[in-house]
Amino acid sequence: MPTLRDIQRDIARSILSPDDGAALTHIAGDGFAAAQRFKIYRNNVAITLIAALRLAYPAVDKLVGSDFFDGVARAFIAQHPPHTAFLGDYGSEFADFLAAFPATAALAYLADVARLEWTANVVLNAPDAPAVRPDGLAGLAASEHGRVRFAPHPAVRLLVVGYPADAIWRAVLDGNEAALGAIKLAPELISLLVQRKADSVVMIRLERDEACWTRRLFSGVTLAEITPEQDSARFVVLLADHLAHGRFADWTTLPPGHAATSVRTSV
Amino acid sequence: MLSVSVLTDRVPETIPALAGIGLRFPHHKAVIAQRPPVAWFEVHSENYLQGAAFRDLEIIRRDYPVSLHGVGLSLGSADGLEAAHLDRIVHLAERIEPGLVSEHLSWSISEGDYLGDLLPLPLTEEALDVVCSNVDRFQEAMRRRILVENPSSYLQYRHSTIPESEFLSAVTQRTGCGILCDLNNIVVCAANHSWDPHAYLDALPPADIKELHLAGHTVKALDGDAMLLIDDHGSKVDAAVWSLFRKAVQRFRPLPTLIEWDTNIPPLEVLIEQANHAAAILLEPRQASAHADAA
Repeated sequence: MPTLRDIQRDIARSILSPDDGAALTHIAGDGFAAAQRFKIYRNNVAITLIAALRLAYPAVDKLVGSDFFDGVARAFIAQHPPHTAFLGDYGSEFADFLAAFPATAALAYLADVARLEWTANVVLNAPDAPAVRPDGLAGLAASEHGRVRFAPHPAVRLLVVGYPADAIWRAVLDGNEAALGAIKLAPELISLLVQRKADSVVMIRLERDEACWTRRLFSGVTLAEITPEQDSARFVVLLADHLAHGRFADWTTLPPGHAATSVRTSV
Repeated sequence: MLSVSVLTDRVPETIPALAGIGLRFPHHKAVIAQRPPVAWFEVHSENYLQGAAFRDLEIIRRDYPVSLHGVGLSLGSADGLEAAHLDRIVHLAERIEPGLVSEHLSWSISEGDYLGDLLPLPLTEEALDVVCSNVDRFQEAMRRRILVENPSSYLQYRHSTIPESEFLSAVTQRTGCGILCDLNNIVVCAANHSWDPHAYLDALPPADIKELHLAGHTVKALDGDAMLLIDDHGSKVDAAVWSLFRKAVQRFRPLPTLIEWDTNIPPLEVLIEQANHAAAILLEPRQASAHADAA
């Protein structure tokens, strides 16, 4: 007699692949074919997991159409079934899959839209945390400013895309055909700051140097190390903007002489 | 956990022996804004682990008792429970203070792959050991008694040896868990596997039944002239299920009873109307003969 582990392995593998031979050896065929009974589970699993992906990637779904989405999603599920019962975490590899999948590889912007949607999910589902208030650093002596380092708020992420994925995403989800038609689909490096605000997602474009400074701020590099010799006024404006919009969860000051130990990040 | 309610302005956690409704996303706004006359709500735990859904549930919990009904713990997995997921459910229960916590007699995970559906178990002594060990672990982690629900199913295994109602009763005896008796699932399984729904109900231990579920199903025609009942929770409760519910209330006692609706979700008013129908049956006087074997 097969063990429970054998049966579950055979059933699971048969559900995730087109071959149901192994599963059928375990199923009673009373009345009518075991295959028809088994097919209900295969369909239910597909419906649930495709729905989870559609929920995470609504713009990709609209861009390719729901029938096509179902097909790509089925191929993805077969290669990348979920590894946890928490489907809110399911589908992180979908963008890379789209980039490599023969039927979608030519639509280079599609993977970027998927990357952006995944980032939107991440910030939407990030835990709540109090943000550092703009006046939070008041009272700090000017001599200490250089030794300040920040921790990013959990509901904020930086993302670089190779196409105007933010414009596509917005136009698709708004159903704005005119805006979608006006987008130039040329490769273009765009740095985005993605943030949750009152249960919705806000995306803003950053200049390349702003994105670089922000990335270093979010990695805990001290202000002294980030502040550029030129353009320091722009950096201060950016920092004030981050504080005004609650993009940091915490700040600390390093003791004197420790500033140089921070990790340097590349652009 | 009991004393926290006193500090937090919440209604008590106890689920009353009245009709409740399965809370679904499309109804959050209406429930929060209108606070409709519903005795209690039940949610699928996996849908409320984070984000706006969780925040809505915290708000709704202030005014209603809430039951947590899991669909992802896979109590029947030979590999044991997923530790990270168990932690999430424990954490959710700490935050929500549910009146009841339940899961299914089924499995969804094999070799680390999660299938997103409730699959039936081969009903064998080995599977009974596995389920009991997983229920023990769940109850230890939750530090409370949990309920296990009889599943709907579309297939049976060649080497099952134990009738499902006996299997479920044995899980209760060995682990001390309670039973969530889904009357729609009994009707669906009875039709799909040629079981007697009344014999199934009669075989369950009355004192251990702690909650009832009601839902709609559909009929699916298969090749040939065979058909299956599909437990899709997408329509009003069927007459056969109302009839079995009436029998269950007589045989067991008035119990917390839930209206579940998961596909083609109608306006909240339709669910309230179904709950009112269930509530009326819960209030029907019990016949003397039905009391005898109830605890």
